[in-house]
Amino acid sequence: MTRRALQPLDITLRHGRRYQVIRKLFLGFSVALTFGLPLWHLHALDVEGAGIAADSRWAHLAARLPDSPPPFYGAPTSVWVGVLELVDPLESLAVALFHGLSWNWVWTVLPGVVLVVLLGRFFCGWACPYLPVLAAANAARWVLTRLGVPLKDVKVPRSTSRVVMVGALVVGALAGTQLVPLIYPPAIIGREVFRAVFYGSLGAGALVVAGAFLFDTFVSRAGFCRSLCPGGAMFSVLANLSPIRVHNERSKCTDCTVCDVICNLGQSPMTNTLDSGCERCGKCIASCPTQALSWTLAAPPLVQLVKLRVEGVEAKTAEAKSQ
Amino acid sequence: MNRRVLIGAIAAATALAVVPKRARANPKKIRPPGALKPGAFEQACIGCFRCAEVCPTNCIRFPSTLSLEQALPFVDTADKACVLCMKCTQVCPTDALVPLKADPDVIAKEVRMGVPVLTRSKCLPWNGQGICRLCYQVCPYPEAAVELVGPQKAPLFHAEACVGCGLCEEACPELAQAIKIEPFGSEAAQPKPIPGRPGLKRPSEVNG
Repeated sequence: MTRRALQPLDITLRHGRRYQVIRKLFLGFSVALTFGLPLWHLHALDVEGAGIAADSRWAHLAARLPDSPPPFYGAPTSVWVGVLELVDPLESLAVALFHGLSWNWVWTVLPGVVLVVLLGRFFCGWACPYLPVLAAANAARWVLTRLGVPLKDVKVPRSTSRVVMVGALVVGALAGTQLVPLIYPPAIIGREVFRAVFYGSLGAGALVVAGAFLFDTFVSRAGFCRSLCPGGAMFSVLANLSPIRVHNERSKCTDCTVCDVICNLGQSPMTNTLDSGCERCGKCIASCPTQALSWTLAAPPLVQLVKLRVEGVEAKTAEAKSQ
Repeated sequence: MNRRVLIGAIAAATALAVVPKRARANPKKIRPPGALKPGAFEQACIGCFRCAEVCPTNCIRFPSTLSLEQALPFVDTADKACVLCMKCTQVCPTDALVPLKADPDVIAKEVRMGVPVLTRSKCLPWNGQGICRLCYQVCPYPEAAVELVGPQKAPLFHAEACVGCGLCEEACPELAQAIKIEPFGSEAAQPKPIPGRPGLKRPSEVNG
């Protein structure tokens, strides 16, 4: 029997179980919201025949309708949680391209951006409703490989997602329409679940998600999230400022490549070369057999660069003074 | 970036540019209350479904066939009418629906979803088939948007005061189906020449 290449499902998670449990609970909460809110609102807000009380003007409408919008509504890319408005930064940017900046826009986009700048691209690993689909694709790959089906794993360059992002913004701006929600899986899934629950049908977006699943299964492992997703590209851009990093203590590392294999986003924790594309899922840390990996707080690269520069200038001025 | 990626990106961009053109070629639809003008609305809406989610009567729909239409909300007044609660405008994250208060005066001033088109040949009172008045009774703006004329109490619509909620279309008896809300500014809502009266046009199609 020929040796198969190592796959994520072959790897056991050893450490940091609590982190993984919290992450999966959060993900479960996000997915539950995605599927639960439509069901709940369909039930709670349906006012039977509200439009046709024959002897009425406004009184019956005011009496029978809820006073304010519900405390929870929306889908992962555009959700209202109690008092907090969380809208996807990329979709907000696309709207701002047409309608400019306004205070309402700022309040809408700010909470999400602050979270991403602090925590990095956490949405992709903690909340994206595409993750169950990705897990299914990874499982399908594992099963198919076991059955002896040869599967490709094309390494599409990760910069492609930035091309997709800029392309969607530019083409959308030229065509006078919003393209991002049509190709961005969390936005599509949120919408399609609502559509399925409310009207019992699916739209063209379902085809995009199905296509992404097939792409992830047969062409490239986690290829959509890694190299095509425009929203992920936007998160990566913002996450450049995030101080949370995975650090590999090289003296403990045995170069077993487990962490590189388990990473869905093509990062390389083994060689300590993680960039802003890290989704903070912590699976590399959990999978490391020698506990060489750990979370660290470090000044983000941009700040480090400025710091080095300032130090350099200070050293030069000190030199000049001493002379 | 290598050349293959660039060529692929350009091809994808071209393909994507065709999609919205197709979407724009589709006939206009009735948008939820407070919607920006056609054109600006397509640019501002991210299709997040919040408006349909909070709509108490489920009158806000999304294109549900496997079409390549942009996912934009519309109101299907023939099936369910808008009750003008203005929840959808209050939850819109991008102001594609401008936030409005559920105040009759504000709504009368700001909301223009569509115009009512009455086919008199189907309307019961206009044909001497009794007194109906259903449209008048459900109208949120009776007298201003619809008044009853003549001994048969036949409805006479005034498009300029109508918000286009569609309650009248929903209430119109199944056997008559005389009222149709047409999108504001659409072909059917334009003034049309009167047959046999050359040079004369009806001021608007609302009582056609």
